[in-house]
Amino acid sequence: MSRRSFLRTSAVLTTGLAALAASLKPLMEMNDFPTAERFMQKYYKELTPAEMEKVLQRITDEVEKQYGIRPHVRDLKPMDGVEFVYCLNLTRCIGCRKCVHACVAENNQSRNPEIQYIRVLRLPHGSLDIEKAEHFYNTDSVPEKGYFYMPVQCQQCKNPPCVKVCPVHATWQETDGITVIDYDWCIGCRYCEAACPYWARRFNFTKPSIPQERLNPDMAYLGNRPRRQGVMEKCHFCIQRTRAGRYPACLEVCPAGARKFGNILDPNSEVSYILKNKRVFIQLKEEMGTAPRFFYYFDV
Amino acid sequence: MNPQKRTTLTLTGLTLAFLALTALFLSNRPGRPVRLPPIPLVGTDFLDTATVRRSYADLARAQEDLSDFECYTCHEKGKPPPLRYDLNQNLIVPKEHSDIVMGHGSHGRNNNCFNCHNETNLEQLQTRDGRALTFSDSPMLCGSCHGPTYRDWEAGAHGRISGYWDQALGPAQRKQCVNCHNPHSPHFPPRQPAPGPHPLRAVAVAAVESEPNH
Repeated sequence: MSRRSFLRTSAVLTTGLAALAASLKPLMEMNDFPTAERFMQKYYKELTPAEMEKVLQRITDEVEKQYGIRPHVRDLKPMDGVEFVYCLNLTRCIGCRKCVHACVAENNQSRNPEIQYIRVLRLPHGSLDIEKAEHFYNTDSVPEKGYFYMPVQCQQCKNPPCVKVCPVHATWQETDGITVIDYDWCIGCRYCEAACPYWARRFNFTKPSIPQERLNPDMAYLGNRPRRQGVMEKCHFCIQRTRAGRYPACLEVCPAGARKFGNILDPNSEVSYILKNKRVFIQLKEEMGTAPRFFYYFDV
Repeated sequence: MNPQKRTTLTLTGLTLAFLALTALFLSNRPGRPVRLPPIPLVGTDFLDTATVRRSYADLARAQEDLSDFECYTCHEKGKPPPLRYDLNQNLIVPKEHSDIVMGHGSHGRNNNCFNCHNETNLEQLQTRDGRALTFSDSPMLCGSCHGPTYRDWEAGAHGRISGYWDQALGPAQRKQCVNCHNPHSPHFPPRQPAPGPHPLRAVAVAAVESEPNH
């Protein structure tokens, strides 16, 4: 080998190796490598109770390691003879957005970037044209004259378009009507976000940031356990509360009592009364054929 | 220029270009994670599930100070207080009760204390058909005029509730009318809304470098 070709070859080789190392550099910044356990985890519906126990243990340990708080993680199954329905009184809603933030606090959503399941739309009186809606409104006092407010969140459709498009079956509808997401199975393709006509699904573009003092330690596998970067999430009717018999967080915080929740299969529940007796005028975007389990109603 | 020289030049040029690219990659300018402008945490008062007001029943249950409801520390028993009106037939609220704003109904005619309070026993309420009620039973008084709303409240379609939707698993706490409505001016007061959503925007790194991103 001549001196010239040696120099040339080694220069090209060094450059090539350096370029390869540089292109792999983002891997060095990856600190959220899946453990073998998580990587090998089976599909939610195929997990035996013993395996689920192990998975919950793993999640508990992971959360404790990350946030320094030992959570109470459960896997709550749907109850028999229960189908959840949500009713929202548009006459009463004053647009104070307390529901938005109670939801964020309850469900461990990312604070920055912000992920919020509920959007409160402000609409001018006499119209239900969503094109005229504004959800960045910022005033000193609500309700404002000439407007009404319509909070929109996951409508828990009976015919959910998001479930149909999921290529890996990471989201499905449970028997109590809640459409859930297995965050460990989601591949982050965001098809469901595109399919949802209500803009109800949110994507974790970054690792969620939750201040330790605001972490809610009462968690459920399909509910509010902390998510990873690159997975979808959305309203799940506070599965960790409602499947334990409690009201959702957005309902409890509503100062105007505009939110109503219950079991539609129970003829004595509030929601049964509302659907039978009140002016329930809308399932949002009814023409889409999604058959929401979220109803808007009026007093009068 | 002979071909060998050209090859050497090209290769040198390529090497330099690759080295420049390597430097660029290593400085990680394009791949640097986006810094986000800080968002202040929402105030805990927006997460508070307490009602706007506290009812007599709440105070009695918590065994708190009920002296506001002990009328006969000032009033005299068996002697209904006289009501005074101005020239527009508006009730003149005595200075001892200056916290009361008379604003029940938009017509301004609901201006007689004894439409709701019991004239002969001020520590009680009274419906228009003469039934005396304690302060704890005030929803019955409200319902004597606001029938449809009372019916909805009884069925759970009006008003606030908390606790358990499934009575088999735990109790539900139904709130009374006066937990949200001031009986003297019942219109639900306007309030400050919680901050709106912050749209996802990447900003210049320098602008946020100084502030911590929680």
